[in-house]
Amino acid sequence: MKKNHILVTIILFLVTLFLSIGPVSADEMIYSEQIDKGDGYQINNYVIHLTNTITITGIYPEIDFYELKSDGSSLELDSQTTLKNDKFYITFEKGTEKIKIEVENATLSHVILNIEIIDIIVEYKTPVDGGISNAKYIGEPNLILTKSVDKTSVDVGEVIRVTIKAKNTGNGVAKRINIDRGLTPDFTFKSDIYTSYPTELDVSNKETEMFIYEIQATKAGTFQLGPAIATYYSSVFDDEYTSKSESLTITVAEEPIETSEIKLSVSTDKTKLKRGDTVKFKVNVENLKDVTASNIRIEPIIPKNLTYVSGSEEIDIINEKPIIQVSSYGGYYKAEYLLTFKADQIGNDNLIVKWTYNNGVEEISDNTTSEMVFISQGDFDFLAQFPIYVYITPIIIILALAGWFYWRSRQFRI
Amino acid sequence: MLNVLIIGVGQCGNRILDAINKEAFGGGRFSKYYSSQKFASRVETIAINTAINDLKEMRNTKAKDRIHIPNLHGLGANRILGKKCFNDNKDLIMRNISERGDFDVAFVISSSSGGTGSSFSPPLVKELKEIYDFPVYSIMVLPFREEGTIYLQNSAFSIKEMRQSGSDGMILADNQYLKNAGSNIQSAYDGINKMIAERILFLLEALDSEMMLVTDLGDFKTVMSGGDGIATIGYAKGDAKTPIRTTIRESISPNGLLFSSNVYEEASRAMIILRGDQKYLSIDDISAEIDKLSSHIGHVFKGVIIRNGETPKVLSVLTLESTVELEKLYALAVEAIHIEKDKRKRVALQNETDTTFSMIDGLEPEY
Repeated sequence: MKKNHILVTIILFLVTLFLSIGPVSADEMIYSEQIDKGDGYQINNYVIHLTNTITITGIYPEIDFYELKSDGSSLELDSQTTLKNDKFYITFEKGTEKIKIEVENATLSHVILNIEIIDIIVEYKTPVDGGISNAKYIGEPNLILTKSVDKTSVDVGEVIRVTIKAKNTGNGVAKRINIDRGLTPDFTFKSDIYTSYPTELDVSNKETEMFIYEIQATKAGTFQLGPAIATYYSSVFDDEYTSKSESLTITVAEEPIETSEIKLSVSTDKTKLKRGDTVKFKVNVENLKDVTASNIRIEPIIPKNLTYVSGSEEIDIINEKPIIQVSSYGGYYKAEYLLTFKADQIGNDNLIVKWTYNNGVEEISDNTTSEMVFISQGDFDFLAQFPIYVYITPIIIILALAGWFYWRSRQFRI
Repeated sequence: MLNVLIIGVGQCGNRILDAINKEAFGGGRFSKYYSSQKFASRVETIAINTAINDLKEMRNTKAKDRIHIPNLHGLGANRILGKKCFNDNKDLIMRNISERGDFDVAFVISSSSGGTGSSFSPPLVKELKEIYDFPVYSIMVLPFREEGTIYLQNSAFSIKEMRQSGSDGMILADNQYLKNAGSNIQSAYDGINKMIAERILFLLEALDSEMMLVTDLGDFKTVMSGGDGIATIGYAKGDAKTPIRTTIRESISPNGLLFSSNVYEEASRAMIILRGDQKYLSIDDISAEIDKLSSHIGHVFKGVIIRNGETPKVLSVLTLESTVELEKLYALAVEAIHIEKDKRKRVALQNETDTTFSMIDGLEPEY
């Protein structure tokens, strides 16, 4: 017995709950009030218009049924009038939908009606002053969502402002609007700027700001911002509507990597020299960045008219070429190397210095060139123009004299 | 061509010999490297010394011509030691001389006052005269008088021994007389050496030249055999404006002589040799001046060497009958010998007073 009591209680509760929420079901009295002549009552897109009240020629008021069309026109519907137990009834039927009006009382200026509906889900009902001429078509809402960003190309760490707007381009009020912003895990939500969006939107050509918030790019790449999704409801129909904005493409650039940068310059202590002279080239190297450069190799290309003589301690001779090899230069490191060359041939030359290094990301190669060095004839070059005997003869004479003097001095020495 | 031997003994003799060789080369510092010696005759030079450093100082005498007599570093002006040293080494010296061939005349140059020169040259001359029959002349350089008693007495004994050695004549040069030749001692020595060297070379040329008026070794012998065996040499240079008679007189004046002498009173024989361009050599003037000289001293040989373009030069060789200057030297030498004797006596006396030290003879210290 006890179990039966509990079951009945639950059933009654559920029936009560069912009856208290949701659309109105069949045989429901939805209106029992006065309606003045020329006014009406709208149920969804059906309009009950009180055309005339009691006239002298009759005792029954003239009540017409109309159905509003989405184009603004209206269609008068057929109805049936019956008289039963001195009660005047007007009935409209369309399929299973049925509106039944009982004229409770009627005067010259107004009537009191009891409006009962069957199998009509009421989304909209209201008395309408002016009746059919003022009734408004009740249709479906259609939200157009737009999602925009203040920039579509950003760097990692940069903040993007996202704005979501909506406008109702349908023909019914959008109600109970709920918006999913479409956050994507590729970005970090930063902050809300504006969140107090309206829960209802009338039909309008103007966009309404629904959301403004900021997200932050966390990694490089090209990402899609998920569409904003709005769910909403009509005033008439109990259907749930959904609208989506377009997806946005955001390009997040690679975070710039700090690299080292080596600058090299070559200067010379003189640009005009004679054959046989020496010339010093000074190679100044500087790491312009606070990033270590590695595997530095500096290779002076020996000019054809010069011969390498000597250089700084750091210079190695590899395959008879002076080469500087350093494992690393710290940030802003500066170095200076000296190379001494001897002018062997007459001509013009400059020193080309090639260098390679790893800037932390890739191998960098570059080169620079010194000023032009002009080599002219040496002071004693003219001697080479004479035949060999010109030199041999005096040498032989000098040697002979020296020998003579030595031999002679030996004769006088004890 | 004459064969001449010139021996320089001791430091002084070595230096004069070196100066002769230098002048023979031409007189320049480097002449020996590019020039041969311009002796008129075949001349052999030998330097003898006990001091190796003195031999090393020589610059113009060949090493083979230097004989070192090993006796430490010189004799310290001790003639007794020197004579013993010569006797010990005379075979070495004479062998060296004999290896150089035959000679017609020899000159031995030395100082009269030093150690090696004064003690070696008299016995050397004596040895030469005993072995060879060519004339041997000594050229002895007298010391500065202020050089000390030992040098003075050495000179006295050395000159005496030289006269007794059989020398064919002794040509004197006096440092005291010539000391104005230089501004300091070294340049004075160099000047004296050069002066003597020039005269000897001139003499050698005169003995072996084709002259306009001939003098020869025989004449020289005759001159040197006159007088007291002591001679000196005079020299003078003339110029184009100076009459040759003046130059001749200059050569026999105190300014031209190597040894102080009153030629007109002390000379016994003379030989006057003139050299130069014929235009400067007036025979009449020469004859007049020589006649004048010969009227005072007796016989005077004269010779003339013609050298075109050369200004006149006169060499005079004079043998002396007597010499006041030498007497003065000997007087000083006697005084020096007495001084040295007195010193010896004083030293001996001091040695007697040293008997003070003998008071402790035979005693030992007690502790």
